Amino acid sequence: MGSRAPATGLGRDLAVVAAIATAILLLPLGTQSGAALHAVILTLLATVLGQGWNILGGFGGQFSFGNALFFGVGAYAAAVLQMRLGINAWIALPLAAAAGAAVGALVGALAFRYGLKGSYFALVTLAFAEVFRILANMLPFTGGGVGLMLPLDTRAAAMQFASRVGYLYLIGAFAVAGFLLHVWLRHSRFGAWLVAIRDNEAAAAALGVDAFRVKLAAIVLCGALTATSGLFYVQYLHYIDPNIAFGPAFSVEALLGPIVGGMGTVFGPLVGAIVLHALSESTRNLVADVPGVSLALYGAVLIVMVRYMPGGIMGLLRRR
Amino acid sequence: MVRRPRSSRRSFLKQSAALAAAGSPLGFPGLALAQPAPVKIAVIHPVTGPLAYSGQLCRLGARIAIDEINAAGGIKALGGAKLEPIYADAPSPQAGTAEVEKANEAGAAAVVGAYASAICLATTQAAAKHSLPHLVDVGVADQIVERGLTNVFRFGPGYRKTTSDAVKYLHTLNTLAGNRAKSVLIVHEESLFGTGTANLLSQELPKLGFEVKEVIKHANPTRDFANIVLRIKTVNPDIVIPANYYNEYALLVRTMRQQGVKPMAIFSVLGGAASSFKFVAEFPDIANGIIDVNHWYNPSSKAAAALRRKVEGMKDQYFTYEVFLNYESVYLLADALERAKSARRDAIIAALASSTWNGHFMPYGPTQFVNGQNAGAEPLTMQVRDKDIKVVLPSHLAQAAPVFPWKG
Repeated sequence: MGSRAPATGLGRDLAVVAAIATAILLLPLGTQSGAALHAVILTLLATVLGQGWNILGGFGGQFSFGNALFFGVGAYAAAVLQMRLGINAWIALPLAAAAGAAVGALVGALAFRYGLKGSYFALVTLAFAEVFRILANMLPFTGGGVGLMLPLDTRAAAMQFASRVGYLYLIGAFAVAGFLLHVWLRHSRFGAWLVAIRDNEAAAAALGVDAFRVKLAAIVLCGALTATSGLFYVQYLHYIDPNIAFGPAFSVEALLGPIVGGMGTVFGPLVGAIVLHALSESTRNLVADVPGVSLALYGAVLIVMVRYMPGGIMGLLRRR
Repeated sequence: MVRRPRSSRRSFLKQSAALAAAGSPLGFPGLALAQPAPVKIAVIHPVTGPLAYSGQLCRLGARIAIDEINAAGGIKALGGAKLEPIYADAPSPQAGTAEVEKANEAGAAAVVGAYASAICLATTQAAAKHSLPHLVDVGVADQIVERGLTNVFRFGPGYRKTTSDAVKYLHTLNTLAGNRAKSVLIVHEESLFGTGTANLLSQELPKLGFEVKEVIKHANPTRDFANIVLRIKTVNPDIVIPANYYNEYALLVRTMRQQGVKPMAIFSVLGGAASSFKFVAEFPDIANGIIDVNHWYNPSSKAAAALRRKVEGMKDQYFTYEVFLNYESVYLLADALERAKSARRDAIIAALASSTWNGHFMPYGPTQFVNGQNAGAEPLTMQVRDKDIKVVLPSHLAQAAPVFPWKG
């Protein structure tokens, strides 16, 4: 599964990633507003979640409805390693990613070995997330239903920052790593195999693509990247419980961004996250005093977007 | 051609004198006696999402208090400055953080909120970054006030206090009844609130001679309690202790009634329904006799009775702990503003830290904050009696003698 020579557009993709990285780095010069920085941080968190989903769902065509599974594993791994075993957060970062990858390998091995596809695969991922939610509720080392509360220790050495700028750079680094992974997928042989499986698995297999191994590698990458977003959540908000970690909210957020932004594209998850957060904020500000109306408005706009932009915003831009 | 008006030093002086007179109290009193700048208060609750019902009741309580304070002339020490609420929706911890950041930039002097413990943990922490005073209205997790955040103040009691008082009151009830109850069964929802309460009860009740026969956890939401109630029937405990939210509480006790499960008592801790006039109104027969240890007001307070009438006079509203804890939190903040004589955040924090406010209708005595927790805050024990809720313990506040075991 080695990389091949760069295809067309590699330089352009890397230039866009560099531009995004520069924009994140320079953002604090433009604004010190806590609200603005928090909004950008949440948007980048949604981007990383979406990137994880996009590897498997967008490039590989394996739709997961339970990516909160990997998010939760990363979050709990980070919290448990720090609180129960006294492991530093920076060391917990690769371990949390490895835990997400391992769970991805487990789910993938079981699901793909038995040829689960489409809605069956989606239901299996949903079921795994639910199983992990119940396990997190039961097991003492996860704190059960009480959850885990990361002690406040605002030092960069503990991956906690007094200023939001530190968190911006941390999640920005995760997002840039996710973009580079996407660029590699788009321009590598492995990515081509993955897209071939998405488009026609039987045809890809006939051409010699080992569909099982490729899909397994994709879900491992998806698990690892999504787990880093879980770790970030714990470092940023300092509290996790089974419903937050493995509940449906993050599963939905993970798939909504790439679907709106453009599945199987490098920048779709970012575009989707920006549009969804902007939409959410503007509807909330528009009808702030009437609870619930903003959600209805958000839903209505979302339906219209999905109806008239089946290829997402990136698809719309490409058509023009 | 436009004619330029003729101007001279004399006419200029005349015009200036006229303008000065206009600016004087005799000229335009409204301009001269400008209103003092309003004091912005962020009122942050989960008014959408799964906790929307409670969140909206919280907002209602804060709104009533703000309207009353403004109608009574605002903050006197600040020249009658009005309280200007910034209402915000925080259905999740990350949304809570966002709303605190917005409130900070909007110039809020303080935050009141944010109902659920998980959301309060996020909002208090975000407020701490800006030294923004944060009054916790409900959030009972003790960690909220145990993280050394000097900007955080909680008026009501936390878990540990409520649960230890509940154990004490249950022991008192049982002693008065000749120690007839020997065993309990705890049914709790699976999040921080229910699990935390169940854990503390499981540790403390055996020390007082109660056998905890079983602890049953259920998901949120749960819409079918048939199996759980069958289990209760099999275990046959003397007392059933539910710790869950309104819908699950109501469904549990309704199913118990349907299946004819009648323990000596249903004894709730921070129950989602037994201290709720809504529950009593909706299920008067089932509610009768249920005991609950929860946030409650001094039953002899005329101010509390007046507020209850006011709330019950509103369409579809009930006088719940969400309403009165938020109402009192806003008044506590107003008292701090009066004593601080300033809307500066550090001054408000200092005023709250040294607060000895006694103008409330809760049974707490004068406020005294120790590491942000009001030391005098305590829960009361109520029992539903004849379509009303009566305080039964402690005895100095009791409106009726407790009936235990209940002859339902």
